[in-house]
Amino acid sequence: MKRPPSANAPAPDWARRFAVGVLLWLLPAAIVWMVVTPFYNRFLTTSAENLVRLTESPGVTRLTVHDRHHLVIQRSDYAIPDKPWLGSIRTSDTHFPTIMLAAFFLAVPGVSWRRRLENLGWALLIAAFFHIVSLFFRVNFVYATQLGAFSRENYGSLAINLWGISSHLLELPFKFAMPFLLWAAFYIRLVLPGGRR
Amino acid sequence: MAAKKSSTKNSKPESTERSGDAVSLWRAYRQEIRFLTVFILILGGGFMAISLNPVNDHVIEPFTAGIARVSGWTLDLIGQDVTMQGTAIHNQRFGVNIRNGCNGVETMIIFAAAVLAFPAGWRQRLLGLILGSIAIQLVNLVRVVALFLTGVYFRDLFDASHTTIWQTVVILCGVLLWIFWANRFAVPPAADPQPQTAGGE
Repeated sequence: MKRPPSANAPAPDWARRFAVGVLLWLLPAAIVWMVVTPFYNRFLTTSAENLVRLTESPGVTRLTVHDRHHLVIQRSDYAIPDKPWLGSIRTSDTHFPTIMLAAFFLAVPGVSWRRRLENLGWALLIAAFFHIVSLFFRVNFVYATQLGAFSRENYGSLAINLWGISSHLLELPFKFAMPFLLWAAFYIRLVLPGGRR
Repeated sequence: MAAKKSSTKNSKPESTERSGDAVSLWRAYRQEIRFLTVFILILGGGFMAISLNPVNDHVIEPFTAGIARVSGWTLDLIGQDVTMQGTAIHNQRFGVNIRNGCNGVETMIIFAAAVLAFPAGWRQRLLGLILGSIAIQLVNLVRVVALFLTGVYFRDLFDASHTTIWQTVVILCGVLLWIFWANRFAVPPAADPQPQTAGGE
């Protein structure tokens, strides 16, 4: 992580320039996100399946890309009669805040393009890790709470609550706060008192 | 002289060097670490609090019903002739039910966490919280009305508008509001006491 150069002081209307930059970068970032989404969903599905299987013995979970935006969950040791899969997750929902993340990182005034892209690269790497972990928790949330008798047999009330609350936290607050959180980790110094002097 | 210094440094126990690294890391990134830690704690705590049943039943649900009423009145004003029932709004062509995640509370918590974690005076924080919350709720009102109209006139676009576009817009507004607030109200740090050096001027 490289700090923005605080000596390279931007103009006093820094916040306005940043806001305009973010708005201008949203559309290009959204277009790239839409193009990349099918490939990224495939990567996330495979990675999440591998992560889930790391915690299983034997590995029974099978995650499959269903359509452009969804993955479906299957287990080789359990099936619901008349249903081809145990649950489905809208994978694209996990990572659409990446549009905001890219816009935030590309719009920072007073920082060289090389530095912006380098920091964006690190942020995307951390975000990808977060997306995989988030899917891992959502799959386990389905196992713990959505499968009736299977859930009751294999998960106690503590486990159900833990998977429930952690999945909820990752799905709502941390997913939405992630772009800002990562931006703050790299650039908060520019907003903090004396940071741009 | 330099060689002597280097050998002295190399002879330090490894644990001392590590704690020295940690101290210098803390000194270098003190403000970032403090902001991020407080932000994450308030964010996690806030969301845990609103997921508790008593808080949800006695605070969030009535608040969401209030949002539904205001949204319904606004839709009536623009000729949609809607009926409201709790958190649900519908007319003959379309209906929505405002749930957690659609009431702007998440964005308000993210905004509040950022305001409280930021080094500013309490009056500035309070002002930020009040004005920011009002602004976020106004944007959320526009979102609910726009989503309802999207459902009525462009049904195929509703899902994408609901889950992607408007979520992004509301969060974005919260973050940009915070940037403007922080840029305006950042409190300059108190001057660090300079260590007295022997042989100074």
